[in-house]
Amino acid sequence: MALKHNAYLFDATRCIDCRACMISCSVENNIEMDKTRIWVAGIGIKGEYPDLQRGTMVYHCMHCLHPDCMSACPVGAYTQAEDGPVTYNPDLCIGCRYCMNACPFGVPHFDYEKGLAEGAFIDKCTFCPQRIYNGQKPACVGTCPTDALEYGERDELIKRAYERIAAHPDKYIDHVYGEFENGGTSYLILSHIPFTELGLPQLPETPVNEVSEKVMEMTIPFALGWGAVLSGVAAGVAMRNKKKQAAAEKDIVPIGEAEASK
Amino acid sequence: MKLKIQLPDFLRMGILPIVLIALMTIAFVVAMVRYAFGIGAISDLSYSFPWGFWISFDLFTGVVISSGGFLMAGSVYILGIKEFKPLLRPSILTAFLGYIMVAIALLVDLGQPLRIWYMMIHWNHTSVLLEIGICVMSYLTVLAIEFAPVVFEGLKWEKTAHFIHKFIMPFVILGVVLSTLHQSSLGSLLLIQPTKLHPLWWTPILPILFFVSAISVGLSMIILESSLSSHYFQRGLETHLLEKLAKAIPFALGVYATFKFGDIIIAGEFDALFSSGVMSLLFWAEILISIIAPIVWFSNIKNRTSPNGLLIGAVITLLGLIFNRFNVSWFAVQHPDPMFYVPTFMSNVDYLPTIPEVAVSIGIFSAGILAFGLLAKYFPVFDDEAHAVHAGD
Repeated sequence: MALKHNAYLFDATRCIDCRACMISCSVENNIEMDKTRIWVAGIGIKGEYPDLQRGTMVYHCMHCLHPDCMSACPVGAYTQAEDGPVTYNPDLCIGCRYCMNACPFGVPHFDYEKGLAEGAFIDKCTFCPQRIYNGQKPACVGTCPTDALEYGERDELIKRAYERIAAHPDKYIDHVYGEFENGGTSYLILSHIPFTELGLPQLPETPVNEVSEKVMEMTIPFALGWGAVLSGVAAGVAMRNKKKQAAAEKDIVPIGEAEASK
Repeated sequence: MKLKIQLPDFLRMGILPIVLIALMTIAFVVAMVRYAFGIGAISDLSYSFPWGFWISFDLFTGVVISSGGFLMAGSVYILGIKEFKPLLRPSILTAFLGYIMVAIALLVDLGQPLRIWYMMIHWNHTSVLLEIGICVMSYLTVLAIEFAPVVFEGLKWEKTAHFIHKFIMPFVILGVVLSTLHQSSLGSLLLIQPTKLHPLWWTPILPILFFVSAISVGLSMIILESSLSSHYFQRGLETHLLEKLAKAIPFALGVYATFKFGDIIIAGEFDALFSSGVMSLLFWAEILISIIAPIVWFSNIKNRTSPNGLLIGAVITLLGLIFNRFNVSWFAVQHPDPMFYVPTFMSNVDYLPTIPEVAVSIGIFSAGILAFGLLAKYFPVFDDEAHAVHAGD
């Protein structure tokens, strides 16, 4: 039986902007508060009285099904576990920051203030493997007081999300962000305000790495073919020159002059 | 008592080398600060803008201006156009130094510069950056081999020079293949940003556009370096050869323009040409400098045959296509910032390269110019006599 694919579900209507998830992430992973792997952005109050809406968005790594960071990393510092988590290995990282360019969500962060001695690395959400493989929920989910963040099997969470939309069609936008975006993500989002206003990019259903991976597949065959063509041309030209030279010798023109006249 | 100071010959130099050395020293100091306190200490790079001036200038510009090397090596050795031989060595030297400069610049830009060799053993085959890394390393080796005969001739090791020369062909072919891959893969590098790079620039044929435009850059670079070195070393200018290169530029740019506009029309982005605000403006400015101006300039035979006309045309072409590289890798790129995402292009105006950041690039570039000058002075780079030795093959 295939491993179940784990995911998060974030319900923006339930978030009360308490930021406990940031604190638990910071504590669990032992990182400074201003560099947590989870960010909470207050979108502010929208609309006109009395139809006011306030929105909060909790971001962390989307743990894409086809991760672009993993596709981009030249040394393979990223790996994807079968059950979902996309993790980063600092022992391989060369600090090129191509993953930051590749990620359409702007997730990977870099230690800009660290020199050679300390070592500057990428940091991103790991899905708390130390917790989920010991039967616990990820730190941010475990601490969420309103169940705005939930953790579970991806298919089951998608089902749950649609059930919630069906129960309150007036409240939710009829879309589960992350179900298909960028080829599917393991961070699913439900919202009452448009997703772009939450700061989420509009993405196609194909992962952004699709074209570049196709081009990379063609590279080796192209290189071999191009090399063969060039070798052929070079051999052809050399042969023609030899013939010319032989003909020139027949006409009793010294080689040096034949060369010079060219 | 009068003090007599007589500088030894090798210390006597013009003002240019002194300026170059000063710029290099500044860059070195800045680089040391960066190694001690991190990239953030000297640059404006951020979470939302991880690649900036260094990538646009050092990597994208550095690689594309090195394309003359493979063009000349390919023309002379593979196509057997022997008349271009006087241009071969300077362009190989430019390419060699250009790639060394790229490698040095990457050592500043990388977070873990001591691990740059990891690219040789840890391969992620889906990564375009891996292809670029491997191409840089292998092509540097190839260029070293292609340039070695010049060094050996300079050292009067004629036999060694001749020996390398005998087996040069496979390396020339390898060099052309690597250059093709490398020039185009810099375009592929941005394929992974379809949502970040503006649609006027993002296209699946980016690798083709990069390769085709690199040809014009390479030709212009050969004209530029021949013009400048003829001025600096007071040697003759091969105007009749350069005229042929200049004649090829409008054709190469024509092909480039066909691909560029053909793609935009096929992709149905014609409206975006005029409706993208600042981006449309950038696009048309780029087209004007990189395509229209050089084609018009070099179509006039007067400009192709006069030293000044050649120089001006080459500079226009270079500026235009370097502008293209900056657009593709910087100006037209917009990264989402998880904390404050504004879904419009040009929201990255908050990134501005700092003075130390630019100083690093200028210092490395100065080192390249100085190295070119020294090598051209002490080794037979422009020495036409030495070419006669191997003219027979």
